[in-house]
Amino acid sequence: MKILELRNVNKIYDGSEVHVHAVNNISLDFEEGEFAAVVGPSGSGKTTLLNLIGGLDIPTSGTIIIDGTDLSLLKPSQLIDFRLRNIGFVFQSYNLIPVLTAKENVDFIMSLQKWPAEKRDARTMELLTAVGLAERVNSRPAKLSGGQQQRVAVARALASKPKFILADEPTANLDSKAAATLLEIMEKLNLEEKITFIFSTHDPRVVNMARRVITLLDGKVVSDEIRKKENKPA
Amino acid sequence: MNDIFKIAWRNLWRNRRRTMITSASVFFAVFFATIMRSYQLGTYDQMITNLIESYTGHLQIQHKEYQDNPMIDYSFGYDDTLISAVSRIKNVVSATPHLESFALASNGPQTKPVAIVAIDPLKERMFSNPENKLVKYRISESAVAAMEKSGLFPSEVMKKVRENAGRAYSSDARLELETGLTGSEALKYLPEILRYCKTENGFLGEHDDGVVISDRLAGYLKAGIGDTLVLLGQGYQGASAAGLFPVRGIIKMPSPEIDSRLIMMTIEKAQEFLDCPGKITTLAISLTGRSDRVMNQAKKEIAAIIPDGTTVKTWIELNPILYQQIQGDSQSGMLMLGLLYFIIFFGIFGTVLMMVAERRKEFGVLVSIGMQKSRLKRIILTEMSLLGVFGLAGGMAAASPLIMYFYYNPIVLKGNLGKMMEDYGWDAVMPAAWFGPYFYWQAVIVALMVIIASLYPMRKIKKLKEIEALRG
Repeated sequence: MKILELRNVNKIYDGSEVHVHAVNNISLDFEEGEFAAVVGPSGSGKTTLLNLIGGLDIPTSGTIIIDGTDLSLLKPSQLIDFRLRNIGFVFQSYNLIPVLTAKENVDFIMSLQKWPAEKRDARTMELLTAVGLAERVNSRPAKLSGGQQQRVAVARALASKPKFILADEPTANLDSKAAATLLEIMEKLNLEEKITFIFSTHDPRVVNMARRVITLLDGKVVSDEIRKKENKPA
Repeated sequence: MNDIFKIAWRNLWRNRRRTMITSASVFFAVFFATIMRSYQLGTYDQMITNLIESYTGHLQIQHKEYQDNPMIDYSFGYDDTLISAVSRIKNVVSATPHLESFALASNGPQTKPVAIVAIDPLKERMFSNPENKLVKYRISESAVAAMEKSGLFPSEVMKKVRENAGRAYSSDARLELETGLTGSEALKYLPEILRYCKTENGFLGEHDDGVVISDRLAGYLKAGIGDTLVLLGQGYQGASAAGLFPVRGIIKMPSPEIDSRLIMMTIEKAQEFLDCPGKITTLAISLTGRSDRVMNQAKKEIAAIIPDGTTVKTWIELNPILYQQIQGDSQSGMLMLGLLYFIIFFGIFGTVLMMVAERRKEFGVLVSIGMQKSRLKRIILTEMSLLGVFGLAGGMAAASPLIMYFYYNPIVLKGNLGKMMEDYGWDAVMPAAWFGPYFYWQAVIVALMVIIASLYPMRKIKKLKEIEALRG
């Protein structure tokens, strides 16, 4: 089932002296359950593309439709609410709320959606167990390693049962062991729960694991490769 | 605890030192502002109460020309029917006739211009009750010498007594207050001090032909009880007024200005002395309170029943200079407090600026993952409010016991500062005002500071662009 469509999407940064065509007429479709990596050299437009898909940035032209909703038609507050209910974010530098524990960080997203407390508790424990942090639920981010924080970030991104998760260089700040653990968890969630992941990455381990690799260069899609499921992280 | 409060509360303690410093600045501002204002209002209240209760009343009926030309010629005829009619008006506590004039008073070689206030001794009990102000104790040179000779008193107590030599008191509490005896000293030595300083005194009888004179005037004229004063003045419509008046008693007036020139006699005797039978100059009216509403309502009703040629004036109209002095002083006090709060505001604002700069990326993340900006604003507003509430509650809690203490134990100013206040005609005592609107206004001011300081982060959040904030 198609959950995301990009049609002729452009993003142009038009400064007084610099004119950058960061995303150049990209059209893509994503199906439910994909595990896709967007790759390319620095400045190729990976992060910009993810920001546009996530509704964090507005395209100069073109259309982005998520599960039948055209993002350009939403007011700013509706867009925030749409993100809350449909998109999970995993940032390069984790970006957990520092004053909340691991459990509270995950719970927070559901409380924004006004889930009942019992349902939130159960879901939080289920997710933190899934990312291997059942023992650290009451630790604040500062007491967790980078890998653990990123796993909490994944649990947080999954909390509201989004249509897909956008992960911008999720392994960039992790050592190889932590990165491998994180990727295994994400792949497991993808395979077992059909959760769609879209990464931007430089990390070859992520690329190896991805079942679809979209390569960008100067804001354009230069290749869109579909791979077999058997790929495993390095 | 809901999420907004939980996050705001924990955010406050992320930078514990900064939170403490900001709250402390609010604390000190509230503390000093409350104490300063309490003293200021307490002093005004004391001045006004002294004046109203001892002299003018809340309202006064007088001849239309009397305020501009306070002469006996502008007296008016009265009888008990006027007093009865005035007394029936709502909020009127008492209506007390006075006949006031001026004269020269002599005792031996000493002569001084004096103010004569003639009273009805029975009715006056309901108004200023001058019998309560009769001098009961005097720290005379002979009393000090006798105390020293007795050897009963330690040197610290004697030092305090000597510093107050020459002063007279109308109550033991006042003597204790002005000498500055500590609690234990008062408990041990006050009864003995009072015994040495006790002085005989008397007051006017209903048809008395003598006078009661104020303490400072008695000192100047070197007059004591039983001495006879010569009064020389001008009576009604130019008649000459002269008479001999035996001194029945000495009173201590709270206002030093009045205390240095007051002679009291009965209205009956004054009408005879000034040749104005059946006339008074003022009818002083006491009310249940001095709010504008009470005063204006009573004034309106009294104006409808007073004799032709007379008018009714409020204490403010009767004392415009004092009122303006108080207003001016109050406004300069408020200006000082405004300055204090202005400085503190910038302390709070500095914290806000740093907080917003440090947490811009965090704001971006929160909005990116789905937190509405309105909710984020509520978190920041809660943080700011908590900062204000800590300082406000602390400042009020710290100021309250001091206000209560100094309300019941006012500071007695001594030395040059005390003299300076007395020279201005003010009692050299600084009581604190009891809790009132000035106290609760601190909460409003702090709330306003918090709201104004919060406008900056509110605006920043409103204008926040997720993508720019996420870049840090």
